[in-house]
Amino acid sequence: MKPIIRLVDVWKTYEMGDIEVHALQGLNLEVKEGEFLAIQGPSGSGKSTAMNLIGCLDIPSKGHVYLDNHDIAKLSESDLAQIRGRKIGFIFQQFNLINTLTAMENVMLPMMFQGIDERERFLRAKKLLELVDLGERMDHKPKELSGGQQQRVAIARSLSVDPDVILGDEPTGNLDSKTGLSVMDFLKKLQKEGKTIVLVTHDDNVARQAQRVVYIRDGKQVEKVK
Amino acid sequence: MRIEFIGYAVSNIIHRKTRSFLTVLSILIGIMSIFALISFGIGIQRYVDEVAKEAGADKLFVQAKGTGSVDDTFAISKQDLNVVKKVKGVEQAVGMYMKVASLEFKGQRKYHYVMGMDPKDNDFVQESFGVDVVKGRSLKQGELGKITVGYNYQFEDKIFSRALKLGDKLMINEIPFEIVGFLTEVGNPEDDANIYMTDQAFESLFPEMKDRFTVVIAKAESTQNPEDLAEKVSEKLRKFNGQEKGKENFEVQTFADAVKTFTTVIGVINGVLILIALISVIVASVNIMNTMYTAVLERTKEIGIMKAIGARNSEIRDIFLLESGILGLSGGIIGVLFGYLVASTGGSIAKAAGFSSLQPVFPLSLILGCLAFSLFVGAISGYLPAVQASRQRPVDALRYE
Repeated sequence: MKPIIRLVDVWKTYEMGDIEVHALQGLNLEVKEGEFLAIQGPSGSGKSTAMNLIGCLDIPSKGHVYLDNHDIAKLSESDLAQIRGRKIGFIFQQFNLINTLTAMENVMLPMMFQGIDERERFLRAKKLLELVDLGERMDHKPKELSGGQQQRVAIARSLSVDPDVILGDEPTGNLDSKTGLSVMDFLKKLQKEGKTIVLVTHDDNVARQAQRVVYIRDGKQVEKVK
Repeated sequence: MRIEFIGYAVSNIIHRKTRSFLTVLSILIGIMSIFALISFGIGIQRYVDEVAKEAGADKLFVQAKGTGSVDDTFAISKQDLNVVKKVKGVEQAVGMYMKVASLEFKGQRKYHYVMGMDPKDNDFVQESFGVDVVKGRSLKQGELGKITVGYNYQFEDKIFSRALKLGDKLMINEIPFEIVGFLTEVGNPEDDANIYMTDQAFESLFPEMKDRFTVVIAKAESTQNPEDLAEKVSEKLRKFNGQEKGKENFEVQTFADAVKTFTTVIGVINGVLILIALISVIVASVNIMNTMYTAVLERTKEIGIMKAIGARNSEIRDIFLLESGILGLSGGIIGVLFGYLVASTGGSIAKAAGFSSLQPVFPLSLILGCLAFSLFVGAISGYLPAVQASRQRPVDALRYE
């Protein structure tokens, strides 16, 4: 399978006052099309930074990040936004829904930024909310939904633009184990339908369900030390 | 910018009701004041233009210099009048007596202007003042003991507590005069309280003023430029009285000159008030900016989420700009409505007080102008906060709690 995302000798340096913090120190990583990959590491290992780069939320200080063989470090902010809006669906630990909008509006929002027309947005959002079993709760605001339901809205939102990659940052971290399992099952189902799934987690149980696990420590990929 | 953002912006404004309301209120006050003041300014300008058109811009006024109005110490003699009449280009000229007199009716006493003139010039004077007989008749030549009176005398509590009728006797400086006619409305309480009598009647009432006219009204021939004619009349009168240029004790004004003082004063007052209203708009604009900065800060995480799901910087900026623009425009719409109410009420009050000439006018351009201005103020005030919002780095914004 060909790689959809490639990180080549990626460095990410933050300046905290006078101190330079190297969050990533020459990370090399490949995400193959259609795989279910888990990136695992302790907190402070740089896995979140890696996720930001994979998700085109940030650009590297040094090195290259290729998405579909385009180096994102060379893109303008606008193009970057457009690419992540089209290619990547995010699922966050905190769900990150917009609280003033209903479930339906939240799912429709990414499509708005892609210029999809209103009717199409509505139909797709409705279908996706039904798919995640929230057909009855489309007009509810996030605060009126349980954690599991909110995460399902977030999954529906991530799927709304039909992205190639679903990127999850501890997507089950705020859910009880049963709800967490059903979210994982749903992600596996998506992979079977052809999506590429990348999860960032520190949780062995989550990582174990992936096809492949990459370990990060001190900003570098390491062999598993266990 | 996508049209869908409007709905999103509106839902955000509604979400923080109280703050939005207060912000809208602050701009509303400014726009309301500006709208009401300008509507009066335009109304007065229209009135002046109308009077100029009716009374004719071809009139010249010769009167005492300095005070701009009626002055007892200086008068224009019959000889002066004859000089004016003989100036080439003057079609007609009449001398008018004016003096404040005591008026008494059924034990009630008031002081108003009494005007005296030759009834053969009635039509000309009435044309110049833009009045006509509304009830009864005009005065006849040589008539003594008869008067025509201003519009307001017909009503209760306007001048006298009782309304006057044709045939009523009015005591002027203790001498009875019979009312034979009422004149049409001029639109200000002073002119609508004038009393008109023949020159002979005036001269017998005020013998000391015989042949000492207060004002001479002259009409320029249609081929004459009134400005040039005023200069010519002035020169002839100077020569006749042996006065130096710049030291004359009379003044020749065209109609335009006469109203210019009035419109300038009104314009300055109106301008100052509009300036104050503008200051309140500036305060409102600071308020909008503050509201928007708060909103940007509050919604940092939301901005991060929107960027993560594909919003470009320009789209984030547009969303916030729209919000501040809508806040401004809402203030503008309500401000225009309130301004309309305030100005209409003000107009009614002015009318009740006798200033029917002081009426607001609401042209479409004023309404649209105020709305556009409020939208503009909203957008300008929101610009910096919106740019700040759009420049947030998605990674940082997402991490913001």
